[in-house]
Amino acid sequence: MRKLLLAGVLVAALAPTALGATRSDPGVDANSILIGGTAPLSGEASAGAGVARGAEAYFKWVNAHGGVNGRKIDYRYLDDGYDPSRTVQATRQLVQQDKVFAIFNTLGTANNLAIRSFLNQSKVPQLFSASGATTLGRDFGQYPYTMGYIPSYAAEGKIYGQYVVKTRPKAKIAVLYQDDDYGNDLLAGLRKGLGGRARQLVAKAGYDPTATDVASQVAQLKGSKADTFMIFAFGKFSLQAFFAMNKLGWRPKITIVNAVASASGLMALPPAKSTEGAISIVFTKDPANPAWAKDKGVKLFQTVMRRYYADGVKSGYAAAGASSAYTMVDALKKAGKDPTRASLVNAATHLNERGNPFLLPGILVKTTPRDRFPVSQLRLQRWHKGHWNIFGKLLVAKP
Amino acid sequence: MEPAEPPLTQFLQQVVSGLASGGIFASLALALVLIYRATRVINFAQGEMATVSTFVAWSLVHHGMPFWGAFFLTLALSFVGGVALERVVIRPVESAPVLTVVIVTLGLAILLNGFTSVKWGSDVKKFPSPFPTRPIHAGGVAFSIQDLGVIAVSIALVLALGAFFRFTKLGLALRAAALNPEASRLVGVRVSWMLALGWGLAAVLGAVSGMMIAPVVFLDPNMMQTVLLYALAAAILGGMDSPVGAVVGGLALGVILNLTGAYVGFVGGTLRLPVALAVILLVLVVRPSGLFGRAAVRKV
Amino acid sequence: MARRAFGLLGFLAVATLVALAPHWVSDFRAFQLATVGIYFIAIVGLNVLTGYSGQISLGHGAFMAIGGYTTAILMANHGVRDLWTIPLAALVAGVAGFLFGIPALRLSGLYLALVTFGIAVSFPSLLKKFAGLTGGGRGLNLFGLPQQTGGGVSVKLARHELTNNDWLYYLTWTIAGVLFVLAWLFLRGQAGRALRALRDSPVAAASAGVWPALYKTLAFGISAAFAGVAGSLLAIAVAFVNPDTFPISLSITLLVGAVVAGIGSVLGRFGSYVGPLAGASLIVFLQAYASDLLRWIEKGIPLHADPKAPGVPAVIFGLVVIVVMLLFPAGVGGVLDALTSRLSRRSY
Repeated sequence: MRKLLLAGVLVAALAPTALGATRSDPGVDANSILIGGTAPLSGEASAGAGVARGAEAYFKWVNAHGGVNGRKIDYRYLDDGYDPSRTVQATRQLVQQDKVFAIFNTLGTANNLAIRSFLNQSKVPQLFSASGATTLGRDFGQYPYTMGYIPSYAAEGKIYGQYVVKTRPKAKIAVLYQDDDYGNDLLAGLRKGLGGRARQLVAKAGYDPTATDVASQVAQLKGSKADTFMIFAFGKFSLQAFFAMNKLGWRPKITIVNAVASASGLMALPPAKSTEGAISIVFTKDPANPAWAKDKGVKLFQTVMRRYYADGVKSGYAAAGASSAYTMVDALKKAGKDPTRASLVNAATHLNERGNPFLLPGILVKTTPRDRFPVSQLRLQRWHKGHWNIFGKLLVAKP
Repeated sequence: MEPAEPPLTQFLQQVVSGLASGGIFASLALALVLIYRATRVINFAQGEMATVSTFVAWSLVHHGMPFWGAFFLTLALSFVGGVALERVVIRPVESAPVLTVVIVTLGLAILLNGFTSVKWGSDVKKFPSPFPTRPIHAGGVAFSIQDLGVIAVSIALVLALGAFFRFTKLGLALRAAALNPEASRLVGVRVSWMLALGWGLAAVLGAVSGMMIAPVVFLDPNMMQTVLLYALAAAILGGMDSPVGAVVGGLALGVILNLTGAYVGFVGGTLRLPVALAVILLVLVVRPSGLFGRAAVRKV
Repeated sequence: MARRAFGLLGFLAVATLVALAPHWVSDFRAFQLATVGIYFIAIVGLNVLTGYSGQISLGHGAFMAIGGYTTAILMANHGVRDLWTIPLAALVAGVAGFLFGIPALRLSGLYLALVTFGIAVSFPSLLKKFAGLTGGGRGLNLFGLPQQTGGGVSVKLARHELTNNDWLYYLTWTIAGVLFVLAWLFLRGQAGRALRALRDSPVAAASAGVWPALYKTLAFGISAAFAGVAGSLLAIAVAFVNPDTFPISLSITLLVGAVVAGIGSVLGRFGSYVGPLAGASLIVFLQAYASDLLRWIEKGIPLHADPKAPGVPAVIFGLVVIVVMLLFPAGVGGVLDALTSRLSRRSY
């Protein structure tokens, strides 16, 4: 009798493990999932804070409509001032103290690279980073827990190179670029896109993100008599480049500005003469563009923002954040009723998402374990009289 | 296929842009020199004070005030603010050792920087320029009216300051108080208030500097941080107690930075700050009193 | 005799608390306390320079950077085990400090502050420029390298298994204790007296036969070596360095921490180690808890400020600095020394 009792107790104690029921990973409990990240809420890149706030707003909306598999998403993001060492410290805090389930939407190339080893070593998913650094999607062999979201910068640079070759084969190109991984990624892509015509890149000038302004570099580039000017910059430096162009009276035949610097709010600030006709790429529906006013996805975006992030109603950054939040919700749903970090990474590497309301129509968010660039389609757009006008077809952008 | 711009034109272009940025360093350097002359203190918070003034101006314009009204009101408010800061924060440590005062100005800088972040947020803002940004072309080189305006303002300020010191009783009193506080007290100069006046005037100069740089580099809480180092270098180059030196030093530094950046490949766009530091070191080693300063005699 | 005993007792009491702390606090808190230890070392070193020899440095962040990068480069590019890089970092930074001390002799207080300020501001640019050596803006990642003791996960020490954060805690505080004792030994003798004489009256000291140049540059070197160790430990703790790990604000923060700790507090007295402890704690915990502090203040005084705004820690920090300088120029250390000397004074 006692032996039976003992056996029964043992079975009861061991049953859960025997049945293979998993202990839940940190950050997940019956009611909520805690995810964390960092963003530049202060500092020279603080325009990018909208990416985190837009995502947060969307999560709040999802929570108000039932959450994901019955759980609310708790998105905690800390300020890193665009400084990678602060990103490291904040991320360690999120993982070791707050015990988040996954890191999501961390903004910045250097910032994501700084935490990549730590997160992969700790087996914490680093998903949908707000950076187009090609290495995030390419080096999954070494870093299987990491994935970006937006089209890679190398792919973007390639598109610009191909565009120039097609429309002005004899163009002479000058490039202003941020002298770090981000700017160099774009530059490398540009060279690839120019292919055999790489010699048409006649001048380039780099700047340090801690510089005061870039007027001197722009003057140098103007002096090269190039007729095509590419601005691979971020935040206030792209603004300064346009202002400098205006002051120097330089009107290149083609001006290209990279996506991250092309938010409508920023483009409206410099004198129209300098920005008119500038070209960039786009993959989200720009909420500041009246062409999308009647679109269902944009209307949803505006409802969500008005409710949870009023300043972001017309913000391209908030739209980018909302689109990656949508994909995150998608991945969390696919991760199952009892999500683990492993099941989340699995879901993220098997995405097949159509109809993301905040991305351009026709874009398919697709990943496989060996192809980790979720958004790899985009279109070109031209700045005309204070608005972006999309032209051409949907292009494929692979590095 | 057009050839690249002739080298002389490029050189002149860099010189002109250098003079333009130098004009901005010059106006902040003037503020630093003024406080140094009056109180023998280097005010590490000068840049942040200028930033606060510029944000105040921005708020006024944002609420509908016309630019020039906001400009002069800001100058008045800055004057009051400068005087207040001297009375509240500096006066208690007037006779304290150098280190104490340095720390206090640093603490002030930290405080003001945080304050601007909290009150106005950290995102970049546009600031209206009093001068049109149209370029003028002369011999292939582009000047912008804005840049000429900035340089003109700096020169005008130094002339006005000079006139104030030379030809007014108050200016005389200020100089006396700085040179020999004890004797000045004996002849009835209220030395303490002279120091406050010095801070007030410096705050005004800083405000002008901030309002001139903001249209170019855009307004955000950290706008003046690197400018402060350049302004310090300019002041050292020109001589810490010479207002003329501050302006000449500022213009010269702007040109030096641009030329080394454009022509010394090693320096490029990334080593501008070390170049400024090198200027400081060179001046302090070769001719510590700067171009226009008076050599100090150390009495044992 | 009684004073000596009290002094030793006080030191042992604090040392015991420090040794036992990890048992009472969470793992992450141990990491934060380890960073307190790092700043403690830097502040003690800075006090040797500023308090003892009277030279102002607004550039000690640069010496921390030299130490930190020495460690990072040796670990990442030359396969040196992290622990062995620490004395090397101290050496490199110390030599740099000593060499800087030579031209610094020509500069008086304010100008020295200015030059060191300039160094701190421009050092990150130099680090970025020599990207081949330093990894440039992208920085150097040390996490998970075989050279990292414990691989960032856990460390086996004398049959105990320590978590990575506990290991960092013991590492930094052991080194801090050793360095503090070494500084005390160095300064209690002739060297200390010479330095203080130089600070108070350079002319009198020189005429008394003290060779100012040697002692002042030595002070710079030692102070820089301390900062180098702190930087090295920071690199090991965070397992990542890039130019922004050692920004200009670090130099200012260190000086402020030293001032709050108490400049010139005679090493060995109670205030001389509790002061830096307080200064270092302020630096580390203010950043983390400024918003909580603001929320607490808001209950009494309506300030209408957003507690999450990034500028809040800076405002509080700046206020603390100004208040301390105006009201307690001798810092926490000075206040404590005044109190404890009253305690150990005889009543007659």
